[in-house]
Amino acid sequence: MQTTRRLNETVAETQSVPTRLRGMRLDEMIAGYSFVAPALISLTLFLILPILASLVLVFMRYDVLTPPEWSGLDNLQQAASDGRLGTIYWNTLRFVVFATFFNNLLGLLLAMGVNRAMYGVVRYLLRTALFFPVLTTTASLALVWNFLLAQDRGVVNFLLQQIGLEPVGWLSTSRWALVSVIAFDVWRACGYLMVLYLAGLQAISESLYEAAKIDGAGEWDLFRYITLPLITPTAFFAVVISLIGAAQVFDNVWVLTEGGPADATRLIVLYIYELGFRRFEMGYAATASLTLFLILVTLTLIQFRLSRRWVHYE
Amino acid sequence: MSEATFGRQKMSRRTLLRLSAMTTLGVTVVACAPAAAPSGAAPASGSGEVAAPAGEKVTVIATTQMNLEQWTPATERALEQLPTIDLKITQTAMPGGWSGYSDQIVTQIAGGEQLDVIMIAIEGLRLLTNRNILVPLDDLIAGDPAEQEVIQNDVHQTLREMLQVDGKQMEYPFSWNNMVMYYNTAIFAEQGVTPPSAEWTWADFQETCLQLANVTGGADDRYAYSFWGEGMFGMHAWLFNNDTSFLSADWSESNLLDPKVAETLQFLADLILVHKVSPNPAGWDEWAQFHGGHLAMRTCGRWCIGGSLAADFSTYDLQYQPHQVGNIKTVAGTDGWGIASSAKDSAAAWEVTKFLSNKDASVDMVTFGGNIPALRSVAEMEVFAQNGPPNTGIFYESLDFAKTVPSPTNFNIVEPIINKHLVTIWSGEKSVEEAMNAAHEELVPEMEKLQQG
Repeated sequence: MQTTRRLNETVAETQSVPTRLRGMRLDEMIAGYSFVAPALISLTLFLILPILASLVLVFMRYDVLTPPEWSGLDNLQQAASDGRLGTIYWNTLRFVVFATFFNNLLGLLLAMGVNRAMYGVVRYLLRTALFFPVLTTTASLALVWNFLLAQDRGVVNFLLQQIGLEPVGWLSTSRWALVSVIAFDVWRACGYLMVLYLAGLQAISESLYEAAKIDGAGEWDLFRYITLPLITPTAFFAVVISLIGAAQVFDNVWVLTEGGPADATRLIVLYIYELGFRRFEMGYAATASLTLFLILVTLTLIQFRLSRRWVHYE
Repeated sequence: MSEATFGRQKMSRRTLLRLSAMTTLGVTVVACAPAAAPSGAAPASGSGEVAAPAGEKVTVIATTQMNLEQWTPATERALEQLPTIDLKITQTAMPGGWSGYSDQIVTQIAGGEQLDVIMIAIEGLRLLTNRNILVPLDDLIAGDPAEQEVIQNDVHQTLREMLQVDGKQMEYPFSWNNMVMYYNTAIFAEQGVTPPSAEWTWADFQETCLQLANVTGGADDRYAYSFWGEGMFGMHAWLFNNDTSFLSADWSESNLLDPKVAETLQFLADLILVHKVSPNPAGWDEWAQFHGGHLAMRTCGRWCIGGSLAADFSTYDLQYQPHQVGNIKTVAGTDGWGIASSAKDSAAAWEVTKFLSNKDASVDMVTFGGNIPALRSVAEMEVFAQNGPPNTGIFYESLDFAKTVPSPTNFNIVEPIINKHLVTIWSGEKSVEEAMNAAHEELVPEMEKLQQG
């Protein structure tokens, strides 16, 4: 009986210790926490604390040089009545939808293209060339695009005029500026998505294609019934990160149009920058950031929810 | 293989892991700790007392928008002439002109960056003064008879006054600019067009443009004139010559709906959209096109001489801007060196301010093709005339009828608002009236905020 009681006590004692600590010595715990400490400290300092600080700033008036003052719901009321915020979110929505769609479409098509059988040298040259814009600084690329798209004496308009067409204000008119900015973003970023999709394509077992071919499947069938379903986990990841990336785009637009003409290409992150670092309205900038944060979280959750319907794991 | 060998002793893997973890933690703690004050650095006082221990150099950091290459000789001279000061000059970028530069300065100061001496132009002066970033120099000048003599007698009153706020001298004037017409003498000669006179009017100017332009959409296209499509300074080169301005005379209200503003903007828009003698300024590389012979005239300040010197381009001359009503006027703006309220050692900062504003520094700027020197004695030196086209004298001569560029405290907000609506005029997307109405609507609440303090 005594043995049984002692055993029960030991079991109860063991159960009261959290599973992760069970069997772990103090020095091991210290070593473990010490290893994660750098990441934890930097995460806290550079992510968690700023997020919390910006949440507090939503209720503050702060111009970066004088101490913040409590402003209650003023910033939220300002956001609700800010006509520019609506225009800017409309621009952002169009940018995000088109940039995400074309980045992923082109990324997938390019990945399928460079995944085909070809000479090794050609394959590597092609992949490098397509990935090259990702490696180059945005400022230098934007200079080149500015040179190409300038309304007067720009290369593209010069070519258009040679075939009898009128020059277009690619970057100087509201009608075309957002299109140009999206085109620049797609040209620049699709190489990165190509690499992601390429990794996804190469993870598909060749035996599946061989089996399908034996059953008489054509090229379209192979794509429709093997490639497409099996690439969906990669596509899901690519869509999520490209969507978040598109919503956070700053440098592309800043160096190409600075958000103009008027507010035609002003996206939400540019607006947050303008509020925070040009007008020094940190409280309202934090409020605009909060709206972006909430929208991105909602979109990501929706994507995860919808992913159950269209993402197939082997 | 659970043991690693270090020297003579054997170490268990656990000990190795523990040591690695402690090292990592130690490095992280050290990295996150506040930086130790450099040896000999003065404690933050801001009181104007020299705080460095005897024999130690005081570090003074000065920041400017100007090219650092121009300041290399001054930095070298400082080693000899300022033996107790370790002078560091940094460049602060000016994205979007002075409004962007002012924002960058505020951001740097707010970020805790040490800036002791700051160059700022009138456009950003009131913002920095309003934020208590600069301290008045009056007491320092009063206590320094030699400098008082220079400022009173060698710096034009207009320049001194431009850098005063509420009667206090906030900066030591270093250089200034106006806007004049640069024209390619070779193109004028080739087309048989008489070079402009100082008294030319807008009608004369338009006639000249029509004679010089050759725009067909081909590779040899030549535009007659291009202007800054935005920016308070560039636009007022035209507005002042029509006796108007974007802001009221005291810079406290919008004047965007003034018919003369509309008349001026319409005149410029017609050059692009109707007469096709000017390009849309957006994305237009004015410097390259002027030097390449694809542009006959442009409006710029003296700093554009620097680009022409670098490009070895010399077939050009200068003339005043054409005017529409009244007498000739030129827009003007001054920059200077001021002392930051956060300066670690304001006595040393004053020494640096004087040093960076002296004749040698001014001559360096003139040689590099920079702005017009604030010191009259330098503007009258041979070096000023040598580093410029034949009519270079008009730069300094214009000072008597110069009009200060509107520079309200909220310049960094006003300028971007106006800019973003101007571009819609040049592209033909909006009429002058529509664009100015939209700009006015945005500007009014900002000016009201300014008036409310």
